[in-house]
Amino acid sequence: MVLRLLLLCMVATGKCSGKYHELLLQLQRQADLMQNPSTLLDPYIHLQGLHNPVLKGSCMERPGDFPSEDALWRLSRQDFLRTLNTVLGLFLRMLSSLQQDLPKAAQQQAEMNIRGLGNNIHCMVQLLRGSSDPEAAEPTQPGPGPTPPPPPLPMLPSDTFKRKLRVCEFLQGYHRFMRRAGQVLRGWGGRRGRSRRHSPLRGLQRAARGTWPFPGLRRLAPQGQLPRLWSAPSPGFLGLGGWPGQVHTGPTFH
Amino acid sequence: MPDKLYVLNLIVAVIFYLPVRKIQASQVTQGVTSYGVLFGLSVLSEPLPLTPESLSVSINSAKQCLHLQWTVHNFGYHQELKMVFQIQISRFKASNVIWMENYRTTVTRNQVLHWSWESELPLECAIHFVRIRTMVDDARIPVPRFWSNWSSWEKADAQSSLGDHPLYVFPKDKLVEEGSDVTICYISRNHQDNISCYLEDVLTYGKQLDQSVRAFELKNVSFVRKTGTNFYCQGQGVTEGVVLFVSEVLEEPKDFSCETRDLKTLTCTWDPGDDTGLIQMPSYTLFESFSGKKTLCKHRNRCDWQVTQDSQEMYNFTLVAENYFRKRSVSILFNLVHGVHPVAPYNLFPKNVSATNATMTWKVHSIGNNSALLCQLQLLGEGKVIQQHNISVRVNGEYLLSELEPDTEYMARVHCAYADHFWKWSELISQNFTTAEAAPSEAPDVWRDVMFVSGHPTVTLFWKPLSKVHTHGKILSYNVVVENLDEPSSLEVLSVPAPANSTKVTLNQSSYQIHVTAHNSAGPSPASTVAISGHPGNENVEEGRINGTEDGFPMSWKPQSRNATGYVVEWCDGPQNLPCVPQWRNLGPTTTGTVISSGAFRPGVRYTFRIYEISTKRMARLLEKKTGYLEELAPSYNPQVVPNNLTSHSFTLSWKDYPTESQTGFIQGYYVYLKSKAGEKCHRGFEKTVLPDNSVCCKYTIDNPDQKTFVMKDLQPESVYEFLVTPYTSAGEGPLDDFRKVTTPDEYSHILIHIILPMIFCVLVIMIACYLKSQWLKDKCYPDIPDPYKSSVLSLIKSKENPHITIMNVNDCVPDAIEVVNKPEGSKIQFTGTRKSPTETKGTKPAYLDLLPTEKNYSGPGPCICFENFTYNQAASDLGYCGHFPVTPQAPHCQLGPLTSPENLLKTLEQNYMNSLGEIPAGEANLNYVSQLASPMSGDKESPPTNPPEPALCSEYKMQMAIPLGLASPPPSENSSLSSTTLLDPGEHYH
Repeated sequence: MVLRLLLLCMVATGKCSGKYHELLLQLQRQADLMQNPSTLLDPYIHLQGLHNPVLKGSCMERPGDFPSEDALWRLSRQDFLRTLNTVLGLFLRMLSSLQQDLPKAAQQQAEMNIRGLGNNIHCMVQLLRGSSDPEAAEPTQPGPGPTPPPPPLPMLPSDTFKRKLRVCEFLQGYHRFMRRAGQVLRGWGGRRGRSRRHSPLRGLQRAARGTWPFPGLRRLAPQGQLPRLWSAPSPGFLGLGGWPGQVHTGPTFH
Repeated sequence: MPDKLYVLNLIVAVIFYLPVRKIQASQVTQGVTSYGVLFGLSVLSEPLPLTPESLSVSINSAKQCLHLQWTVHNFGYHQELKMVFQIQISRFKASNVIWMENYRTTVTRNQVLHWSWESELPLECAIHFVRIRTMVDDARIPVPRFWSNWSSWEKADAQSSLGDHPLYVFPKDKLVEEGSDVTICYISRNHQDNISCYLEDVLTYGKQLDQSVRAFELKNVSFVRKTGTNFYCQGQGVTEGVVLFVSEVLEEPKDFSCETRDLKTLTCTWDPGDDTGLIQMPSYTLFESFSGKKTLCKHRNRCDWQVTQDSQEMYNFTLVAENYFRKRSVSILFNLVHGVHPVAPYNLFPKNVSATNATMTWKVHSIGNNSALLCQLQLLGEGKVIQQHNISVRVNGEYLLSELEPDTEYMARVHCAYADHFWKWSELISQNFTTAEAAPSEAPDVWRDVMFVSGHPTVTLFWKPLSKVHTHGKILSYNVVVENLDEPSSLEVLSVPAPANSTKVTLNQSSYQIHVTAHNSAGPSPASTVAISGHPGNENVEEGRINGTEDGFPMSWKPQSRNATGYVVEWCDGPQNLPCVPQWRNLGPTTTGTVISSGAFRPGVRYTFRIYEISTKRMARLLEKKTGYLEELAPSYNPQVVPNNLTSHSFTLSWKDYPTESQTGFIQGYYVYLKSKAGEKCHRGFEKTVLPDNSVCCKYTIDNPDQKTFVMKDLQPESVYEFLVTPYTSAGEGPLDDFRKVTTPDEYSHILIHIILPMIFCVLVIMIACYLKSQWLKDKCYPDIPDPYKSSVLSLIKSKENPHITIMNVNDCVPDAIEVVNKPEGSKIQFTGTRKSPTETKGTKPAYLDLLPTEKNYSGPGPCICFENFTYNQAASDLGYCGHFPVTPQAPHCQLGPLTSPENLLKTLEQNYMNSLGEIPAGEANLNYVSQLASPMSGDKESPPTNPPEPALCSEYKMQMAIPLGLASPPPSENSSLSSTTLLDPGEHYH
């Protein structure tokens, strides 16, 4: 694992890379790395004693915890990156509240992976923003407003057994979500401006109308605030440079 | 006695009378049996009917407890009464009583009473019913006493709040101690479900308590993991479970002790034992009984306690460890000054370091009011303590270390303890330092190797590095001073830089003393002296043998001089065939023996030791030479044996090139093995032996190592023998895997060799000579025109028939025709039949006299002139080989008749030859000369004569052939055909 991260680090430079394909490849690799259950879910299952087939069968992704693949495909590239950024930011907060439940090493490694991916997401967003491609161009961002309060953490059951299964489902959902994100990123592989989106900001608009497509995260991110989270991330997430796997190590989010 | 009891009852009745009256007045309306109706002695026999009121039951799911609460009224005039409450608990239905207990307590007026009952079965899995009744249990109330009526059943139903989930498992998150028993139950809403339950991965079976409830009793639960033991049930796609948190039993803290480092803070430590395995750690509290203070410890194995300023010296500490299940405590009585463990000293440095002395300084942390510390300074060399000193220190410590070795690295370390009462040394601090260098204390051990080159000694000086004890510093160089004793003023000084351990000096034929000193930065060592004579000494001493042992080579010698100053044994560590770096050992003058050992000695290697006697003038004289093996080995290879002198009955084996000195042991002799395929008996001197491959052969032992030939005798002719020669040492013989084969010839082969071969050689010589002298021989024996006077026929005729017969002289004949042939030089025909090329034959064209017409200048018909020699073949003449044909202009050619074809010619030749055989007497017909007539025919003899040959004008063939008897009728071969063709080539004439 460390070697893989070091390899990913090979392309790290002092600022965002301007090479689209290099950045995209890095994002794909990071997504592939993070979709691997051995990085987080398997250590959790082992620590909690959930390795029995009966319990493993109960540890399935709960619909609504994370955006579906269909929802991801419908997003424009910038919307996709924002969504990915936001979901991972929330997951990172969730992760910090699971310190007692997760092996420490796995948790720290997952945090570093997420932060590294966040920085590359930032670089890709900047790259797309500077692109003349009309499909990748984004509307002007709204002006700075009041910083939204951090979303509430998920309410885990007080019953320890239920909590164990719920966290297991959530981690399962995380890995599957990263797999879906990787597939979407691989779908970008060809030219820079190709997009499958049906509506550029459809997801965001739905969120603004109170029909956030990811109901499981609704309680994590209050309605209407999710898109803003990306442009004004909570402190400590995705704004820090120098994490493994990042292509960007320079500017932070502002 | 009965009288006394009666009086006592009476007193009690009087005492209780008035209060009872008051109670009666207040409780009539409540329908309670009144004590008021009972008066006098009869009243005392009635029970005090206090019924519990306001009974309520609640459930504590976390602790799985039923909590009861009630009150008791109508205490009358009493403020408190001792009472007993009987409590009944039923499960599922009121009649199913599962628990009954008498709870005794003192009840005060208007007190709300509480009582808890912990259920082993999770309360959520069953409805419970509770009722209670009471009885006064106070000595002030006379007996007999009676129970009150039961309260009504109170229902405790935890299931009603569960909801409509199809499956529930209880208890949730129960915390139990390892080894205890736990009951787990599930409630299934659907009774038809087939529900399986597992403890971790093990399927578990329970007891059906109700239609929808099944209980599982887990006995003696054990710790599995910190995150809890999973118990879960699955039915109809629903998985529910609970987590049991099993705690290991809290251990009593061990090795509880306290100490202070500065008399200001106490630190108590202990061994908490094994982790209980729960995320919630046990708490540790330190309590001091004299001061009454306590503190909650921040660590599970250590606690700090601030010493008060009130000069408290004694402390009585109690450490209490507590978790959910247990409380453990240990105590210690502690005197503050008896537990001083000073902090480690600091700033330990050496100063004024010389070759043999060094001063160490250090500082200590003050304790209390500058109390003294006892410090211990240790000096370590090579990891071992070699000096140890105790010094009393208040602030600064200092000590002079002496008797140190020059140029030696030392470690100084120091630790301190409280001087007033030793409790414990502080931690050690250490510092390394190295003493200064001093001049080497000992002369180098020097030896020499003298070789005489052109009468001049060349001395190689060797010396051993000084041991570290004696170098006293890094050796920089070795000084070699060569002193010519015959010329005192002549001194030669050489400086050899270290780490060289040898140098070479060429001397003349004088006597010398050579002094060698080792130098370091502090100066030279004492000198080591060797003396060299300008003349070679006696090297021819007898070489003895020694046997090595496990300890080395033991050897002894006989002193030859009374004033020897010592002896030196010299040897080489390596094998003899490798360059030698001499090793030597100095021995005292009284020593006459030693054991030479070396890690370099190897078995199977021959070592030679030279023993020298050292004179007072430091001159070395060779006493003895000894050779031996640490351990002899069997020879590793066999000699290369060459068989020679092979006869039908013997052959000789030779292995003269086999070096015996470089073998793996002393060669004691050789074994000669002989194997024959015929399985013959062994010859004399041989003995039959069985080889490792179970083959049988004959073995001969040569016990003289210098004998390197062997004659194998008494062998059978034309037989195959295998032989092997292998040396043997005291350790065994060489390898037996290289037999060589030799085959004896037959008995006559020598005849072939000695007689026939020379004969063949002679014949060859004669043939070569004949070939080389063939012309001469031809001229002598069978010339082209034989000399009739030399003919043997003539002599034969003369001797047998007519002695008057003479040879016909040409002059006596009247020739019909004369042909004169001009035979130029070089036109001799090679009789050997070698075919000449046309170019060669061109120049041999005969020249004719003008009176004879030639082919060119012939212009008309003319007579053919033919000279024939009928001396040898009259028949040929008769046949008219060279008949005289009339020459006509129309037919100018000679009509050769049937001889125009080669076949006819050959037939005729054959016939004539046979005829001649008939005429020539036997034994004299070695050669038969036949005159051939040339036929100017061209083409192949087998080709049809399309162009009839035309005889050349006046051409005759004069050549004569010598046909050996054996070749009288040669087969018609290609060569012969070619020869005939050549011979019949028109226009060419051969003579």
